Amino acid sequence: MESTDQYNFSIFSPRNLHGRKNRNVIFSMLLIWAVAVFGFQFLLRAIEKPTPEKSLGIFETEWPYVLADSKTEAELNSFLSTLIHVKGKNIVTPADQNVLSAAISNVVFRMVPDSLGLTLASQIEEREALEASLVQLNGQQFVDARMVIRDKTNRMTEFLEPYTGYGARSLEGPILAASLRSEFSTSFNDESYTRLPDLMKLYLTHNQSVLTDTKVLGFPFHYFYTAVFLLILFVGLCIVYNLLIEWRLRKQGIVE
Amino acid sequence: MKRIYLTIIILLSGALTLSAQSLTQLEGSFKTGPAIILIATLVTFVLVGIFFRAKDPADYYAAGRSISKVGSGMAIASNWMSAASVLGMAGMMYGFGYNGLAYVVGWTGGYVLLLILMAAQIRKYGKYTAPDFIGDRFYSRDLRIVSAIFTILISFAYCVGQFGGIGLMFKWILGIDYAWSVIIGSSVVLLYTLISGMIGATKNMQIQYVIIVVSFLLPVFILAFKFDYFWLVPQIGYGAAVTDIVQGIPAPNLSGGAALLNAYGHDLAIVPSPEFAMPWDPSSGTTFFQWMAVCFSLMVGTAGLPHVIQRFYVVPKVTDARWSVVWGLFFICLVYWTAPSYAAFGKLLSSNHEVGVLAKDAIVVYTAQLGGVNSLVVGLLAAGAISAAFSTVAGLLVAGASAFSHDLYVKVINPNATPKRQLAIARIGTILMGVLVTIVALMKLGLIAQLVSVAFSMAACTIFPLFLLGIWWSGSNRAGAKAGLFAGILVTTISLTYFIVGLSGGSLPGQAFVSYWLNVWYFAWLGAPLAIVVNIVVSKLTTPTPLEIKKFLAEQVHN
Repeated sequence: MESTDQYNFSIFSPRNLHGRKNRNVIFSMLLIWAVAVFGFQFLLRAIEKPTPEKSLGIFETEWPYVLADSKTEAELNSFLSTLIHVKGKNIVTPADQNVLSAAISNVVFRMVPDSLGLTLASQIEEREALEASLVQLNGQQFVDARMVIRDKTNRMTEFLEPYTGYGARSLEGPILAASLRSEFSTSFNDESYTRLPDLMKLYLTHNQSVLTDTKVLGFPFHYFYTAVFLLILFVGLCIVYNLLIEWRLRKQGIVE
Repeated sequence: MKRIYLTIIILLSGALTLSAQSLTQLEGSFKTGPAIILIATLVTFVLVGIFFRAKDPADYYAAGRSISKVGSGMAIASNWMSAASVLGMAGMMYGFGYNGLAYVVGWTGGYVLLLILMAAQIRKYGKYTAPDFIGDRFYSRDLRIVSAIFTILISFAYCVGQFGGIGLMFKWILGIDYAWSVIIGSSVVLLYTLISGMIGATKNMQIQYVIIVVSFLLPVFILAFKFDYFWLVPQIGYGAAVTDIVQGIPAPNLSGGAALLNAYGHDLAIVPSPEFAMPWDPSSGTTFFQWMAVCFSLMVGTAGLPHVIQRFYVVPKVTDARWSVVWGLFFICLVYWTAPSYAAFGKLLSSNHEVGVLAKDAIVVYTAQLGGVNSLVVGLLAAGAISAAFSTVAGLLVAGASAFSHDLYVKVINPNATPKRQLAIARIGTILMGVLVTIVALMKLGLIAQLVSVAFSMAACTIFPLFLLGIWWSGSNRAGAKAGLFAGILVTTISLTYFIVGLSGGSLPGQAFVSYWLNVWYFAWLGAPLAIVVNIVVSKLTTPTPLEIKKFLAEQVHN
């Protein structure tokens, strides 16, 4: 009579030499796979440090003076550049964009002579009206309206260049002009700016380490490892596994 | 086949003679060239479906076991590369930076598990479908029924993301409403699956793979060349673009004295944006835990997806099952190495405020458009994305219909059903599922990649533990399998309930806690191990597995 135990099988306790060899191959592969995928991410996590962008240092230095309203125009310019550098990131949420737009508008209106403030305000209002009408337009009308908005923004950049130093072909100029709003609080002590320091810290601090700062084939190393190398490793593991298994089957004369 | 290729060539050359449409808007207008390419592609699929039409149930479910390992590898890749791979993955990286790479790694790393733990053993076991295996291995009609229901649910959840992707691309090409796009796209894919079944689908998948790869890779070569990156191997060349995004590019950005501009005439310039590449960046709203949980859930889910497992039944030999995984993974990787480059180029090209943040799920075609790639090439790209969704949906609908007809109807309700009757039931199941998926897809519940990851977590919590223990431990018995499956279903139900309640604006006790730790996109990190542990504990405490099952496993599966 056959015994139940005779056919007991588990990956941890194979029934014969072939099974044991097969188990060893499987566990080796799994170990390499797990360490390569998850081990690397744990390493990345272990050695990372919250690293601020240069702009955050400038912002944190300038912010108390801005609050105290004791900044010269030149000092306001470096403060403005930090705001633009965050506003230009397209990961910023709409709520945070509003805070940044208000802050940028506030700084720009301080930098522009009072005599030109009204002209600038009317330019902004005209553009805002056009932007509001975009949702109702389609096809060529939409394209035409976008072109008009672009022209207005470019003219605004040119208008502001003598005071901000950012021209239409600079990186900052178009971001600045597009951020300007007609309605904003003129005091940085206002409640609407309370979130600004936290917001700047959020967008200007990143988890970095030697693994993220080293370059490989143009990539940050960790990015190359995860997006390119791991996939090569997976294909390689699969090929090696198949070759090993087939070699073992041939060696032991097993036909599947 | 020659006639079919000739038809494609004639239709494509007709499209190419049309003047290239100027780029005016990313959305909202009818695009003639891309529409012709799309129609030509769809006609080809239907012709192939008719040509290789399923003649009996064996053809419908398992392609008559006549597919070679390279062919099966292409079919695996095509079946696998869905709208989530072609559209969704780049969208995740565009929106969530490094955390999007969890999808790239998760959806490829799972194949290692599939190969070393499943492929050959499943083929040796010799069943047609996942519920077939589960019902037989655990000698339980109840488990067959439950696993058949979950096979349908998993296929259903997976299809929702695909139909969403099909809708997005139809919307982009035809310039029509999203709802109509989904309805038109779903009708076409349903018709095609009904005509062809698995054998037609498998032949089509090989053609679809070629279309997907060519259409997906071509624009990246053009973009890399145009924007002065290493274009000979753009999968490496975009590394410099990632570094440029991290460090920022000042304007104007010149190459040989000429400014590099996007299709709107904006400088290819960007403020320093390390959040695009740095791990689990706080501003992306994602965490280290989420990266690990998503990656783990997708990997384990890959090895438990019924429509993927089902592909190993269509190869003639066990060794073919193994090598088809390797070929399949290699073919998949060709696309997965490329997908992040769309996110990187998309980030650069959309950095101007005038472009603004783009819809994540359409970032692939938007990137090609913004890069000034010829509109016909962009049209081909969209047709490739639709092909990807079609090939996957066909496989999913067949898997769902198989579970409905073969595992529920024939094995449970009417064992004496004739082959003709079985085929009719399979087709009714396909139609029902297609209609229901269309309705849910119209609700736009999330991003494509996220919607698809629900199916992976479900598979990881329910099917994967049963296959893993069923193959590798003879001690896993019916009671253990039932208890383990119950644990997996419990975790799944909790996660889905909190998700649905949250979506409808409601709140349950511990809503924030469950929504984070058992999020619907990655709840398998807990559900899968729990189901395995419960299965083992209950199996140890209850009546052992019958001798004939153990004997079959020992002699047939592990020779």
